[in-house]
This record gives sequence, C-alpha cells and structure tokens, in this order.
Amino acid sequence: MFCLVASLFLVGTLSASAGTGRTGEPVIPLKPYKNLDPRKVALGDRLYHDVRLSRDNTISCASCHDLATNGSDSRPSSIGINDAVGPIKAPTVYNAAYNFAQFWDGRAATLEEQVSGPIHNPIEMSSDWEQVLGKLRKDLELVELFNDIYPDGLTPDNIASAIADFERSLVTLDSPFDNWLKGDDSALNEQELRGYNLFKSYGCSSCHQGQNVGGNLFASMGAIGDYFGHRGKEIVEVDLGRFNVTGEEIDRYFFKVPSLRLAALQKFYFHDASQTRLEDAIRVMGRYQLGREIPDDDISAIAVFIRSLVGRHPRMKP
Amino acid sequence: MKRRYWQRKRHLLIAAVAVTIGLFLVTRSTNIEQHTLHSRMLLQMKELDARLDRDVLQVTSFILRHYDSLVETADDIRHLSKTLRDPKYGFYTYTEPAVDQAIDKYLDVLEQKLMLLERIKFRASVLRNGLQYLPTVAEELHKSDGKLEDQVVDLLNRLYRYNLFRSTEEGRQIEGELKKLEADSLNHPYKQLLGNIFLHMQANLRERTALAQLKDLFLAMPAAQRYTELTSAYGAFHANNMRRAEWMSVGLMVSTVLLLSLLGWLLRYLDASREEAQSSWDRLSDAVESVNEAFALFDANGKLVLFNRKWQEFYPWLDALAPGSTLLEMRKANADHVRYEEPEKSVPIDVADLDHVEESYIEQLGDGRWYLASDADTSEGGKACVRVDITESKQIELDLRKLGRALEQSPASVVITDTNGVIEYVNPKFEEISGYSSDEAIGQNPRILKSGDKRPEEYKDLWDTISSGKEWRGVFHNKRKDGSIYWEAASISGLRGEDGEITHYIAVKEDITARKRAEDQLRMNATVFDTASEGILVTDANNRIKTVNPAFTRITGYEPEDIIGQDPKILSSGRHEPHFYRQMWRQINSQGYWSGEVWNRRKDGSVYPEWLSVVVIRDDKTDEIKEYVAVFSDISQRKQDEEQIRRQANYDALTGLPNRSLFFDRLNQAVISARRENGLLALLFVDLDRFKAVNDTFGHVLGDEMLQEVAERLKLCVRDSDTVARLGGDEFVVLAHDMGEVNDAALVAEKIIDQMSRSFSVGGREIALGASIGITIYPEDTDDAEEMMRNADMAMYRAKEGGRNRYQFFTVGMQEQVRERLELEQDLRHAIDRDELRLYYQPIVDSRSGTLQSVEALLRWDHPKRGLVSPETFIPLAEDSGLIIAIGSYVMEEVCYQLREWRRDGIDINVSVNVSSRQLGREFSPWIVSGMLKEYGVRGEWLTLEITEGLLMDDSPEVLKWLNGFKELGLGLSIDDFGTGFSSLSYLKRFPVDVLKIDRSFVHGLPNDVGDVSLVEAILAMGKSLNLKVVAEGVETKQQSQFLRKRGCDLLQGFYFGKPMRESELMAWMKKQGKVSSR
Repeated sequence: MFCLVASLFLVGTLSASAGTGRTGEPVIPLKPYKNLDPRKVALGDRLYHDVRLSRDNTISCASCHDLATNGSDSRPSSIGINDAVGPIKAPTVYNAAYNFAQFWDGRAATLEEQVSGPIHNPIEMSSDWEQVLGKLRKDLELVELFNDIYPDGLTPDNIASAIADFERSLVTLDSPFDNWLKGDDSALNEQELRGYNLFKSYGCSSCHQGQNVGGNLFASMGAIGDYFGHRGKEIVEVDLGRFNVTGEEIDRYFFKVPSLRLAALQKFYFHDASQTRLEDAIRVMGRYQLGREIPDDDISAIAVFIRSLVGRHPRMKP
Repeated sequence: MKRRYWQRKRHLLIAAVAVTIGLFLVTRSTNIEQHTLHSRMLLQMKELDARLDRDVLQVTSFILRHYDSLVETADDIRHLSKTLRDPKYGFYTYTEPAVDQAIDKYLDVLEQKLMLLERIKFRASVLRNGLQYLPTVAEELHKSDGKLEDQVVDLLNRLYRYNLFRSTEEGRQIEGELKKLEADSLNHPYKQLLGNIFLHMQANLRERTALAQLKDLFLAMPAAQRYTELTSAYGAFHANNMRRAEWMSVGLMVSTVLLLSLLGWLLRYLDASREEAQSSWDRLSDAVESVNEAFALFDANGKLVLFNRKWQEFYPWLDALAPGSTLLEMRKANADHVRYEEPEKSVPIDVADLDHVEESYIEQLGDGRWYLASDADTSEGGKACVRVDITESKQIELDLRKLGRALEQSPASVVITDTNGVIEYVNPKFEEISGYSSDEAIGQNPRILKSGDKRPEEYKDLWDTISSGKEWRGVFHNKRKDGSIYWEAASISGLRGEDGEITHYIAVKEDITARKRAEDQLRMNATVFDTASEGILVTDANNRIKTVNPAFTRITGYEPEDIIGQDPKILSSGRHEPHFYRQMWRQINSQGYWSGEVWNRRKDGSVYPEWLSVVVIRDDKTDEIKEYVAVFSDISQRKQDEEQIRRQANYDALTGLPNRSLFFDRLNQAVISARRENGLLALLFVDLDRFKAVNDTFGHVLGDEMLQEVAERLKLCVRDSDTVARLGGDEFVVLAHDMGEVNDAALVAEKIIDQMSRSFSVGGREIALGASIGITIYPEDTDDAEEMMRNADMAMYRAKEGGRNRYQFFTVGMQEQVRERLELEQDLRHAIDRDELRLYYQPIVDSRSGTLQSVEALLRWDHPKRGLVSPETFIPLAEDSGLIIAIGSYVMEEVCYQLREWRRDGIDINVSVNVSSRQLGREFSPWIVSGMLKEYGVRGEWLTLEITEGLLMDDSPEVLKWLNGFKELGLGLSIDDFGTGFSSLSYLKRFPVDVLKIDRSFVHGLPNDVGDVSLVEAILAMGKSLNLKVVAEGVETKQQSQFLRKRGCDLLQGFYFGKPMRESELMAWMKKQGKVSSR
C-alpha cells in the first residue's frame, strides 16, 4: 500500500482547497457581541438617553456620546451640568465593548464599572446612586421593566448592567477594511491598500492591532519624543494618564491605546483634544512615537486607510 | 431515690439518641458537589495560568500579531479570581483560614503576573514597532549608497539576527558598533535619517533586554508553587473533612451501641419491675425487635436477658437456647459454625480471648456470612451484644482483593485516581509503559503524562463525561518519563461507593503506539485513495482489476462491481493502434512504469483523453510482480481548453472566420499542394467601401453586426473548399483553390461585389456597402505566398483608386510602381533633413483691380536625381507614410518665418497654406500653431488654411473642434478643389469656412464648356448666398479671367497672373507689377 501512495505522489498532485479570509494580519474583523439579552439592550438604550442620571436632569450619556455622529463629543472637552468643562476628550462609545479597559487611563476594567464614573463625577453628571435610584423609583413603568428582567429589580448594578449591555450592541460592522480582510479584494482601492501597508511598515500596527485596531494595551504618549514637553501647554493631572491609577512612576504618561475604528469620524484627537485633523494626528504620532516626520503623501494614504476602518451601525448616520 | 436514678438514665438516653441523630446527619452531609466545584475552579485557574504563560511566550517571540487573545485570557483570569473569592460559591471563607491564605497568595501572584503582562505588552509593541519600521527607513537610506550606509545595513542585519537569537555578547558588540557608526555619521548628508535609524536600533537593544528581563521576571513568578500550596492546603482540608466524616461514622456506631446498651438496661430494669411495667417491657421489646441489628443482652451473671428476632436469624442453631443460657454457652454452641477474627487484620481469635477484645471483632460463619460483633460491657457488669451483617461489604472486599491481583498481572496499564484526579494506584504494567514507578506516580496527577497535543476542550469533555458517571473512551498521546511519546487507548470511568457516589476514577489503558502507526498509515493511504482527484485502478499480476477508487467511478462511470475482475482492456477506446499498447507494456515490464496520454472509453460510450501513469508493484522479497497501479486524470477539460486557445489563436472572434495567421498557413499549404499538382490559385483581397462611415455613424455594435453579415455573404460566394478569412477591420480575403482558368477568379469577384452591393439592414436602416477587390493568381503572378498577399493588396488599392465596386487583377506594372513608390518614400524621409523641400508662392489677385491679394504657398520637392517632383506624386506618399506630419509642420514654420520677414520689410501679404486631413489631431493642432505664431510674431489673420471637401464630409465633432480652434486663432479657412467632391450647402453652413476655391478642372472649360459654365455659376451663387469669398484656380487665359470677373468671382489665381515662384521671384514679380508698396 505504501508503494501505491508513493506512486501517487510521483504522478499527480492533489488539489488543495484555498481558504477565503486573509490570515496573519495584525487587524481582525469586528464581530457582533454574542448572547446579548435584547430586553436588557432595550432597557440600556432607554437609560443611556435618560437625563435623570444627572443631578439637575440636564445630561444623559448621549449628551457627550452622540450615537448619530461618532459616539463621541463634537467639543474638545465635554460639558457637564452647570456648564462645567471636562478635563479630557470624551472617547467614542462605539466598539468600547472591545476595549480591554475603560477610560483613557483604564481605571475601569469593565463597561459596568465605567457607568458609575460619569454619574458620580462632579463635573459630569454630579449625581450618586441614592439620588438616581430615588428619581427612577418614581417611574413605575421603569421599575416594572427592571423587575421583569432582573430578579432583584432596580439596583445600581442592574442599571450599570443594562447600560453596559446596550453599549455592547454598539459595534460598527461591515467596514470596507473588514470586508477586505474577509477576502473581498474589491473592498479596498489601491490608495487604501497602500495606506494599510504603510501603517504596518511604519510600525503603527504594533500598538493599533486586534479587532479594535487598538484598545488592548497601555502605551506611552511620546515613546520616542517628548510630547508633553513640546506641547506648549501646562501638564495637568489627566496628562499623567495611568499613573493616576497605579501611582507607579513607570506608568507616567501611559494611556490606553485608543481604537482607530472610528478615528476618521472624530472631531478631535488624543486625550487632550490637541489635534483636529486626522492627518495632523498621524503626523504627531510619527513625530513622538517614531521620531520622524512622515511624508505628506504617506500621511494621506494612511488617513485613507483609517477611513476604510469605519463600519456601519444603524444608529450612526452616514 | 430510684426515681432520680431513672431520671438521670432518661437524660442519658435522650442525649444518646440526640447524639446518634446528630452524628447521622453530619455524616450524611459530606459535600461531594462542593468539592467537585472547587476542584474544577482550581483546575480552570491552573489552565488559564498556563494559557497566560503560553500567550506571554508568544508575545515575547513576536508570534502574536495582536493582543485580543491576551486580553481575553486576562479577563478570564480576573473573572475567575473574583469567583474564587466570592463567598457565594462556598469556597473562600467557608473552608479554613489556611486555604483562604493560600488562595490570596496564589491570586496575588496572578495579579502580579497580569501587571507584568501589561508591561510586556507595551515593551513588545515598542520592539515590534522598531522591527517593522527599521526596514522602511533603511530602504530610504538605500537611495544614497555609500560605505557608511552599507555598514548601517550590515548592522541592521545583525540586529535582526540578534532579535532572533539573543546573546549578551552579540548585543554588546552591536551596541559598540552602533556607537562607532554614530560618531562616523556626524558630518553625513543623511545625518537626520541615520540619527533616526540609530535611535530605533538603540531602542531595540534597550527594549530587547528590558523585554527579556520582564519575561524572566514573569516566568519566575511562583504561580505554580503557590498553586501547589493552594491545592495541598485544600487537599489537606478536604482530607481532614473526609477523616472527620469517618470519625463521625465510628462515633455513630459507638453511640448506637451506647443507645442499645441503654435500651438493654432499661429492659432489664423493666424486667425487674415486671409487675408494674409489663407494658413498658413489651414496648421496649418491640423497640429492640425493630432494630436492624441482631441484639442480645446478658446480665451481670452472664445470663441471657433479652434477644431480638434478628439474633435468632443470625444464629439459627441457637434456637434451642432458652433465656437464661449464658454467653459462654452460646459461644460454645457457635464453635462449629463460627470463626472469630480481628477486624481488618483477618487474624483468628481464640474463643477464650474474645472477652479481651476491645470494641469489635469479626465473626465468619460457615455458610459464608460475616458479622461485625461488639460485646460491650453494661454498667451493671452485663454484656450488650450487637451483630451487624457485613457479608456484602466483606464480599466486595474479597472481590476487590481478587481484582487487585488481576490488576497486578493485567497486560493493560491501570491507574486509579481519587475524584481530584490524584493517582492512588498504578499497576506494574503502568510502571513498565510509562517509566514512572508506582512511588513516583502515586500522589501525582495523570497530567504528568501529558504530551500537550490534546486541546483543553477535549480534557473538559473527558472530565465532564466521567464526572457525570459515564465511561470515557479515547486515545491519549502521552509522554513517558524519558520524554518519548506513545499512544494509549484508554477507558476511564468512575468507581462508585456504596452510596452510589463516585469515589474514584479508574483508567484502563493500552499502549497502541504500534497499532496507531499502522492505522495512520492505512488511513492515510485509504484517504489518498478515496479522495484523490485522479482515478486509481489496481490490477493483479494477471492484469485483472482488483480495486478502483471513487474518482475512477466518477471519471469512467464504471462502479467497482461493474469492473472488478475485468481486464482494463474494456476501457480502451479503439483509438490507439495495437502497437501503442505493445510499446506501453514493454516499457511497464522493463522499466517498471509508463506514463502518457491515452484515449479511453467511458461506460456511456463517450471517449475521453486521460493522462495515465502505470507503476509496477513488486514483492519486496521475491521481486515478482504483485500488482499494477494505474493512476490517471481526465484531461478532457485540458483538451477543450487547448482547443479553445487554438481557436482564439487562429480564428477571428467576431466572425468566426480564420484570422490572418491561420489564413497565411492555409495559403502556404495551398501553394505547396498547387505546386505539386500544378494547380491554379486565386487570392482575392476584399476591402469594404464606405464601411468606416457606417461604423462611425451607427457605432461599433452595429458595425460588428454588419461585419458578421459580410462574413456570411462572403461564404456564399465561394465553394466550401475555399477559404474566407478576415484580416482585420473591414479587410477580408478569399483563397480559391483548383480553379479551371483565371477568369473563374473574376467570376468570384463579381459575385462578391454583387453580394456586397445588396443592401444591408442595420439599425433599422438599409445600407449599401460595396467592395473593392484586388486579385492575384498563382502561379502566374508569383509562386510565393507572401508576395501573393502583397500583390493582392496592391491590386485592391488600385481597384479602390479606380472608383468603388471594382475588381482589379494584379499586373507586373503595378509591382514596378510599388517599387518606385517605396524608393521615393525612402527619399522623402530624408528630404527635410537634406533641405530638398522648397516653398513656392503663387499670387492670388483681385479680379477687378488685378492687385495682389494674397499668395498660396505650394510645396515642391527638389529631388537630387529626379529634379522637381510634383506634389500630386509625393503628397499622397507623405500622407500614407505619416511623413505628412513632419512636412506639414515644416511648411507652417517656413510660412511663419517668411511672413515675419515680409512684415519686417514692410510687405503686407497674406498666405494660404494647404493642410491635409491626415494632419488632423496629430502634431498639427491649434495649440501648436498658436505656439508658432507667437514664436514668429505672426498674427492669425495673415494666414488661411486650405482644406479639402473630404475633411468636411466626415462631419465629425472632432473635425469641427479642430477647425474652430484655428478660427479662434484668427486663421481663415478655405475649401480647396471645391466642386470635385460631394458639395453640400449644409456642411458649408456648419463649418466656419471663409473662402471657396473653384477647382481648376472647371475653370479649364471656361467659357465654352456648358457644363463647366453652369457649375462655376452655381458655385459662385452658392458663395454669394453664404457670404463666402470665391477664388478661381487655374486661370490661364484672358477669356477665363474676363468671364470670371463678369460673373462676380472676387479672386483669381493661375498662370495667367503668375506661376508659383520662389520668394525672390515673387518679390521681383511684385516689383514688376508695381503692386508692392516699399517703404
């Protein structure tokens, strides 16, 4: 029998089937979040837009994370109640489910933990659970809804759980780039492909990788250059980044690498909202993470590639 | 007094009952489920920890392209940590402080590992960034090559090697080199770029070391140790738990005895006061009866006081014993039936020693039953005897002992673990196979055998199966103590205790490495055989088919049952001669193999080509032929593809007619066979008239349809044996074989012209085409195929020149002309360089005043040998060869130069220049002309372009745009040779024309030729109505001049006024005429 096999390989080649999608790329396609309870998502949706979560009933989650545009704010710093100005740029809520930690400094490990942050922040919603529960308990219909879904009804944990589950449904799918990853050669044009190759060869993809093209590690702002020294603006508390969480010197100026999925739609870039154009943001990255000026041609190609990362979501108006 | 005593006893009784019940309950509550859950959580944690280690190794060796999987592992660990510490799961705070501490310590280590992980992630990404980026920047550097750059690239290469195979020495060397290079580069033009490279290289070295340290730190984290501590703490707790449960059981026994003693005492007490408490006695007696154990009570005198029915059942031969008989008597009576021994040790006890036995002993009965006996002293000095039938468990113990021996001698390896998977027993076979001694194995987890190629899900499946009480069967790929790998088929199942709970797992395993190898080989062979896309056929030494594969059936249509036992001959198509097969067999038998293309026949009768390879299989020992293996693939598709390609290469895709290359092939063949057979061939070149116009007007789609129709009609005009081909565009060619006489060719040509003149229905319109045909005859004109093509082509052009819808035989004269034309064309190519072209200017005068209005620039060629060559001869040549472009530019530039010179001298003359339609859209564009005008400072108004009617007839937007471009520059437009073509008022209106020039042929007949007169009059009327100036050319006589002036023709040109002349002559002429106003 062995002779037979040998003779087979002698005379013929056996056909091998070719797989479709692309493998070995640092970026992988976004997938919808699995096993979400639609009732919780609907409830979370409601709470996301509920201004009663703020002390003076003026602000909801949606106030600073507008779903129709980019899941973020159109202002460099968000405005809380009584026109208080926040110290940091609001990150997008889209695809936040796939970030490994929440907030720029990663101080919340889960979306649930994140929820109570803005509610308590004096310059955001400036409220507390006691107050929020007091207001919501009067809404009998809402209480009923909680009772239907959660055995223990309306509690802070369950409010957070519903909002977090709603946020898990905010995944942008079907981007040209993901379609290309899945094997559709026509999904990207030459310029976008060139941009992607530059993105890899400049090493951008060493931090901006995975399905969120970032959002899965902490890295230093200014790995090569002195970003904060050159910024020409006083260093404030939020600039210390992860240091504020761990208190360790080694974490000074470390931030969660942001996802680039919706970068193209943002009005402001970086935690300090210091840039307003994607191209400029890429230039700054080249300067401080790579130590060089990236030529304009390459910058615009990379920008074109980053635009191809934008997927779709029913809530997001194109 | 008595009453108080009784009361005290009652309290004791109640307490004994309570203790018994309590013990019973506690014993019952050994919590197996909790234990399973906890074990599972710990196992899971261990697995996640291992996954983390693996991921970190992947990150540090850059295998992981993104961190998503890492994040998932970290999340899982955090989640499980939380669960472990969550009191909800009854683990943390529910066991004992030592376990809690161990959990804390373990989770702390994991937390530290996760923290290190974050650092590792960042360092690895910085490193990876550099590794990805350095080649990019090195490439930039590459643009400038020099010594330093080479050194940098060399160093880069070393750096990459260093990243792959890190050694401190290499790192130090690279660092030193780097410093040197940095110093060298200070004055280098690419200092900045180099600086960036050095920066990244240094960062790499630094980060590589940092990452390595982090990795070492990470791997040195004592997670495994903490885990072991945790499991042993937990194991100790669990063992303690179990021991406690055991003690409880013993306690239960003791308390039962105590309870029964009390009952006995009570009976005795009641017996003593029978009169007052007969009823109480009865009740107690009933109670004793209802006890499951055999019970007998002897008083202090050793006399039997009480026994229950069970006692009688246990010792049926004691029936005769009446109450009052003593324990000693009873034991004597038992002597024939009972053997006594110590529990657990199986040491016989002499009857005499029975009273000295503490607690309990075993009674072995002759009929095989076993009792656990306890003769306890009562407080009154009597004895309470309790017997429990333990035959069943004793039997099990015996069986187990037997089984134990079987296990010891079993040819299979056997492992028994507790429910945590900790090995409690291994048999000698296990020691032999695995290389671990039983001492080494016991207390370990079977995981020590793991080779690592089973996925965690498979282990989970195994665990789920056996923990749910089912048997798991499967194969392990295990590792011996010495590291070698072997295959084991295993059956693992739970061993249940008496309560039905699983207490142990037993694995029975067989080393199947050899079998597995053989199986794998067989399976692979079978898979290849079954899934190969090639048909496979195996015959025996007598060439009878033994087996075929599915692909064979698919290709040939024969099912195995149709064909097994047959000679493969039934597949043959009959397309090959017998010697083909003889040859094949000769090679097979002499060289052992054969391959080639064979036509075979399917079951359905269809014939197909296959690529067949036959191999001879010989016996390893005797070298006799055992079988033949034929492997073949159906190459029908390949054949079809080849045919398709052949067609594409040889046939015209539009009409399906042979193309130029196939036609030429056939022509060659025809010439060869005609030469052999003295045949007569005719080659007809067919060119469609007016096809270009149709194509432009109706578009390519309808044009293509028309060409298809033409092809069909052409085929109607010839015999089947003749060849019709399409050479391209609207050129077709016909090869007529075996003609009787030359005139037959003319008949074919006439037929073709007739067919082509009939109207074609295209796009809902009827259109007539017509054809011009050139004919050449073999062997009359030539006997060379290539020359025939040239001849027919030439003749076709001649036919076209002679007017449409004509055919023309080739003549030798034509050939002469062609040769001459070719020579002339060669010379014309050099005419500009050699300055042989001359511009002549012919005056155009006002018909009334006779004053000079403008001149027409005319080109002459002063050929070194032929003298002056007329434009009628060389202009068509220039047009055909494309030289017209260069010549046109030359003329335009010369004229501009001349205009500048004249103006400089104060001479105001306008010049008209002839432009060929072939110059359209090429180098001669308004844009180019505008440049020339600017260069020479010439105004557009000084120039008029003369074009022919033919150009306007094309009536295309392109032409209109071209002409308008010139108009915008201020140039005038004049229609040359007006009246010779298809004059149409409509196009004159549409185009920006200023002047009409009446062709000299009409002027020639003036004033006598009636036809010419009426034509000239018509043109003049037309010019007037369109407000165009009219120039009459070729005015040679006074009469012509007068006639034209009278008819209102504004401008005249001709020999009568002045012939074309060189610039100097023109000046002289003007001076003579006195028409020049010199400054």
